[in-house]
Amino acid sequence: MNPLPALRFVFRSAVQNLMRNLGISVASLLTVTLTLLGAGAAVVVVHALDNVLHTEESRASVLKVFIADHVSLASIMNMDGQLATQPDVRAVAFENKNEAAREASAPGGLNLKGALRLLAKTGGGNPLPASLNLRLRTISDVTSVNQAVRSSAIIYQGPHPTDYNPNVIPRLERYILIAQVAGVLLVALVGAVALVIITISIRTAAFVRSQEIEIMKLVGATEWFVRWPFIVEGMLVGVVSAIIAAAVLLGGGFALGSGHTLALGTGLHFALGVSGALIVAGAVLGGFGSMVGVRRSLAV
Amino acid sequence: MVPQGAANDSPQHSRMVSTPDLTPNRVVPLPDTEGGPQPSTRPIIVFERVNKTYPNGNAALSEVSFTVHPRDFVFIVGPSGAGKSSVIRLLIREEAAQGGHVLVDGQDLGRLRRRHLPRLRRKMGIVFQDFKLLPTLTVEQNVAFALQVTDPGRRHLKEKVAETLFIVGLEDKLHRFPDQLSGGEQQRVAIARALVHRPRIFLADEPTGNLDPDTSWGIVQLLLQINHRGATVLVATHDREIVDLCRQRVIALEDGRVIRDETGGQYLEAGEATL
Ligand SMILES: Nc1ncnc2c1ncn2[C@@H]1O[C@H](COP(=O)(O)OP(=O)(O)O)[C@@H](O)[C@H]1O
Ligand SMILES: [Mg+2]
Repeated sequence: MNPLPALRFVFRSAVQNLMRNLGISVASLLTVTLTLLGAGAAVVVVHALDNVLHTEESRASVLKVFIADHVSLASIMNMDGQLATQPDVRAVAFENKNEAAREASAPGGLNLKGALRLLAKTGGGNPLPASLNLRLRTISDVTSVNQAVRSSAIIYQGPHPTDYNPNVIPRLERYILIAQVAGVLLVALVGAVALVIITISIRTAAFVRSQEIEIMKLVGATEWFVRWPFIVEGMLVGVVSAIIAAAVLLGGGFALGSGHTLALGTGLHFALGVSGALIVAGAVLGGFGSMVGVRRSLAV
Repeated sequence: MVPQGAANDSPQHSRMVSTPDLTPNRVVPLPDTEGGPQPSTRPIIVFERVNKTYPNGNAALSEVSFTVHPRDFVFIVGPSGAGKSSVIRLLIREEAAQGGHVLVDGQDLGRLRRRHLPRLRRKMGIVFQDFKLLPTLTVEQNVAFALQVTDPGRRHLKEKVAETLFIVGLEDKLHRFPDQLSGGEQQRVAIARALVHRPRIFLADEPTGNLDPDTSWGIVQLLLQINHRGATVLVATHDREIVDLCRQRVIALEDGRVIRDETGGQYLEAGEATL
């Protein structure tokens, strides 16, 4: 058999089938669109939540180790070098007393502006300690590194040798874990629902066309010919639905966002990635759903 | 062109001379067969002590044996539930026999591989009581469908379809939809669809079951004409009037057994016209 006409037949009859059973096609298109929309929205929301938590995490993954006054620069550098080689430490930055004062008086910094100005005027000197600012790889490293540095000789001896906050870190860690698990579960659940719905709607379409399948078998069509128009039809439904769903998501994102940025702080790259994934998922789900749906009708 | 039906009748088939004179007004000839001439001694259909029991335990056929030669015209008759449709279903390998052998063109269907099934079905044309036309397709599309799904690259498809619709007398209704046709016309479309492959074997399961007597007679004449042009024809029916009129070979079934197998109206002459 000539493959080209066969291919043309498969595509043409897939499209024809869609047109001829327009009611059912539109119904399954809408169902699949809604499901993919749900899946896409779930991905976007989970991603946004993840973003927020990540920002929090990286903000919280900084540990300030205060250094006692009059410690020699050599021993600070020595400690800096030691810490920098630790696997859970991403970067170490030394902040001297002046920088600490500047940071504290900067807008959004500690609200000590007035106090500092007052101290400087009266010649009282700078009360803020220098520090080594450790940027750690993950939030869960903060607790252990905090433990480790406390025994260092050069550390500022006082009630708060580091800026570790035992109230914030473990709680944030827990939130991140919960959000990640919930996100994975949500996307998996919506994906499973999408698969079931697509399979059901394609199976309905195959059932509606069982007479056609019967005739194809009677006149001696090969299984290939019976199966592929359905699979292509399912893929078309899946892809068109995914395009609609992606367009709605992107349109909604821009509408709810401000100006040229998407809502929920979604990056354009990520949005296009989700759109592409939806289209691939639509094609795969549609094709797979059709295959499952048509298999029963194919039994001799 | 010249009608070729009569010219094709070779002496071995003189027993079919009793065919009612159809005075064919159709001039388009059906080619003999797609496979070329066959030795006429080899049967085209053989049932050899065939048993068929459905999965639910219904015994439909028991020890059914008969032989059909190329270009034969055979009625399979019997009351409802006698097993007529089961014979047809075994022939198209929609069902498999539990015992015995069903041979089509020398091929044992019990050994037929699944992937060779389409090849078997293309040798056959089949029509049913309920026509099985696709309601969303026109007459022309319904017939073309059979070619498109088996050989989409086929050239001159439209011409082939038009030619076939001419044979069944529907050349002026190409663009109608099935629900715009009478029952007889719908059955003609179904016949054209079954015929468009030029099958060597033509099967009809109660083809006149939904039709009034006059229309039925037209359909039967068409089937006789198809036979005349070279196809082997098997018709399952319980329409006694038609069977009596045609004086063709009759295989009578009852409770899944062959109770009679007679040629050319013998049973009528013997005076026991009980179907
Ligand atoms: N698919 C089936 N499943 C179970 N029993 C069947 C099936 N088809 C037919 N039968 C039984 O087999 C017998 C013969 O049926 P069938 O071949 O359809 O007879 P006919 O066509 O002469 O009316 C009947 O008793 C019928 O009930
Ligand atoms: Mg029957």
